[in-house]
Amino acid sequence: MTGLVGRGVARVDGRAKVTGAARYAADHEIPGMLHGHLVLSTVARGEITELDTSAALALPGVVAVLTHRDLPPLRVPSFPYLKGFVPMQDTRVHHSGQPVAHVVAETPEQAREAANLVRVRYRAERPTAHLAHALDEAFLPPLFRDEPNEFVRGDAGAALEAAAVRVEQDYSSPMMHHNPIEPHSSTAVWDGNSLTLYESAQGIVFTRRVVSIAFDLPEANIRIISPYLGGGFGAKGPTWSHTLLNAAVAREVGRPVRVTLTRAQMYTMNGHRAEYRRNLRLGATREGRLTAIVDTSTAQLTRTDHGVYNTSESTLRLYDCPNVHVRQLGVRLDLPSSSYMRSPETTAHFGLETALDELAHELGVDPVELRIRNHASADPHSGEPYSSKHLLDCYRIAARAFGWARRDPRPGSMRDGNVRVGWGMATETHTFSAIQSNVELTVDVDGRATLRAATQEIGTGTYTVITQVAADELGMPLEHVTTLLGDTAYPDAALSAASATVASVIGPVSQAAQDARKAVIALAVADPRSPLHGVPAEDVVAERGYLFARGDRGRRDSYRGALARHGRPVIVTGSRLNSSGHSYGAVFVEVRFDPRLATLRVSRVVTAYDPGRVLNHRTAHGQVIGGVTWGIGFALMEHTMVDPHTARVVNPNLSTYLVPVSADTPSVESFFVDRPDKGSTALGARGFGETPGTGVPAAIGNAIFHATGRRLRDVPFTRDKLL
Amino acid sequence: MTDEPAPESSAHTRRTVLKSTAAAAAGTVVASHHTSVASAETAHTGGARTRVTLSVNGERHRIAIEPRVTLLDALRDRLGLTGTKKGCDRGECGACTVLADGERIKSCLTLAVMRQGAEITTVEGLTRGDDLHPVQEAFIRHDAFQCGACTPGQIMSAVACIDEGHAGSEAEIREWMSGNLCRCAAYQNIVAAVADAAEEGRR
Repeated sequence: MTGLVGRGVARVDGRAKVTGAARYAADHEIPGMLHGHLVLSTVARGEITELDTSAALALPGVVAVLTHRDLPPLRVPSFPYLKGFVPMQDTRVHHSGQPVAHVVAETPEQAREAANLVRVRYRAERPTAHLAHALDEAFLPPLFRDEPNEFVRGDAGAALEAAAVRVEQDYSSPMMHHNPIEPHSSTAVWDGNSLTLYESAQGIVFTRRVVSIAFDLPEANIRIISPYLGGGFGAKGPTWSHTLLNAAVAREVGRPVRVTLTRAQMYTMNGHRAEYRRNLRLGATREGRLTAIVDTSTAQLTRTDHGVYNTSESTLRLYDCPNVHVRQLGVRLDLPSSSYMRSPETTAHFGLETALDELAHELGVDPVELRIRNHASADPHSGEPYSSKHLLDCYRIAARAFGWARRDPRPGSMRDGNVRVGWGMATETHTFSAIQSNVELTVDVDGRATLRAATQEIGTGTYTVITQVAADELGMPLEHVTTLLGDTAYPDAALSAASATVASVIGPVSQAAQDARKAVIALAVADPRSPLHGVPAEDVVAERGYLFARGDRGRRDSYRGALARHGRPVIVTGSRLNSSGHSYGAVFVEVRFDPRLATLRVSRVVTAYDPGRVLNHRTAHGQVIGGVTWGIGFALMEHTMVDPHTARVVNPNLSTYLVPVSADTPSVESFFVDRPDKGSTALGARGFGETPGTGVPAAIGNAIFHATGRRLRDVPFTRDKLL
Repeated sequence: MTDEPAPESSAHTRRTVLKSTAAAAAGTVVASHHTSVASAETAHTGGARTRVTLSVNGERHRIAIEPRVTLLDALRDRLGLTGTKKGCDRGECGACTVLADGERIKSCLTLAVMRQGAEITTVEGLTRGDDLHPVQEAFIRHDAFQCGACTPGQIMSAVACIDEGHAGSEAEIREWMSGNLCRCAAYQNIVAAVADAAEEGRR
């Protein structure tokens, strides 16, 4: 242990990323590779009646144009393949922007031009595109991933009836898209019955399983390679149809094929955050103790799947309320499948944290105090005690740093010239998963270590934190440890989603590194040629690549020396399990509203978190600034618009689907309680990535109410709603 | 533009070449994929290649490409310089930012044939031997990236932003770096890195 863990060391993949050397999915050079381009449906519901590929095929450079007539049958995989159908297997169209043909050509330009020459005619049916037009068709969807969509604790109806104070309101949020900067790219290379995919995948092990089912191939015949991922935010967690279709097409044409989605195609090909309507009813005592919560949400579903991806987890578990009724309803629409998108619980949490602010105002209780009065010191749903939870510290630390005590609670009371200033806050929380993960650690004959795991670097700092933990446990300098990720040739490990990576992978890494250190020390003390020969193994310490006898540092060996004499590598594995849980925090926001122009700026954000032990303060802070900025996007601008007549996305680009830019965002101040969670085998660290930002949309809305007296319950809070 | 006569290059604007794509994409015909993509607009390509000389990172490259190939695709697919990223292919995200004669441009919005006279610098051309450019070093020091997909574009944009004299304050940097999206949202660290590198340049 050399004190590396926790330090904000610079990213080990930094040099590769700032020089352009890092190879992302579309950067791998594959000899003889062809370029694919998808043709997507222009109707949302109906049948293909005519498909003429002759003009496309006549274009120079075009090798093939494949349709449902040409492709072999592919089995429909289950989760994490979400669509419920594989396109290009029949003539049915389930949504606008569904693949109907796949063009393959020598150059990307030829493929793209040819895709525009494919003539498709449809028998179109009238689609239903808007949640508002079908709310009377809402139903309670069946189990999804073994989880129900209804939860009952106590008797919320009766408690609400009896409550001294009630808040009942509707909250809503639109369809949103992940928009990672790197578009999805898949390159399929067949060698007989074996398939290699260069893929933008947040879970290569999951992608391998999906491909294996679709093609009825043994997993051993499939290799997925994804050493760098240009962001994902959930968009690359599930495996999407372009991967399956492109692999099928590559097999048909007998050459490697790459397909990369265009930005516009990413609005129908790879999921989105579903549109939601939510009715929330809170009951409380005059002192502000919650007695009842009834949370009824309605999500946009499709006719081919019924996944509810934005669960009301915080309604159920965040506050100590004895009577809760959660129902997660859905409505089937003729739209592409939705999916997980960064911090999915934000959708429900926005409603809950806004409603609490409304209750605080109603009662004349400070919003922080209201949350403290309802703090849960054991899981309110299961009754289980927490292994560790420091949310109360988060409120205190962030409130003090923000200066919350100086807040005048009267709406519209704080001004700076013509500008109205508003201060709002919210609790931040998100679930994290723990997924069975395995790693392999090799200490080679040169005394350096290599760690291999089939997880991914999505940008959160996985390469760095794994390297840090391994180097620390081994007692090696950081630069003596190399971490290799993103290849299913390595041991199966967690996907880069559900805030699962640290929680799942760090235990196995730490275990493998400890075992490797012990194994090398055992070699040294047993070797008559080692200066440590005969020293009890427990009296040997490892630091900076050297092995010392405790108390007699003159007796010194090294990994390099011990391994050179051993003559062959030491290889160990780690697979320590962990359990899932929640991370917590608090966010305080200042907005500045100019009523003359209805302009709103988020001018200050202060946060504090309890993620268990912090493994790297830099990368943890990175998740905070990212999450808070996503919260700003959620609150103020992000909104995918669907034409109600055609069910087509009308803003499938980054000039009309707005995401925050540098000038939209303030600098965020973050604090960490930084105490290990004894319940986590990941050195006391919990999953954390998706906690920051969950409270930001509500905190901004609450700050707008404080600035203006106007309560907004429908995001995004665009200027038309502020006028 | 010494290698190529001006009329030749100006004849191939990306607008003309991609008109067919735009027409199909914007088509309001619902019941059919509109296929009357004007053959006149595609006739000038037909897969015909032209010789293009590009000067990239101080090296001259002669390649045979169709005139419609963007500078971005020429760099990535023909010269193997994949450091420059394609995020949107329509000038919205900035991931493809390179320098043309020292000025930042979006390489997806210009055709390779139009840039034959220019000295192009990509992220691969910033290092001197093993030494990183001060902006690259500042990006690592300030953790100014996460996934790295926008990073080459951010760095090229930052180099130009500093050269332009638009890195005088945090607010100015935020404004002049807002053409480069970072979906991981490392913005405050990017701003700190640009300010630091600018300061270093002034010392």
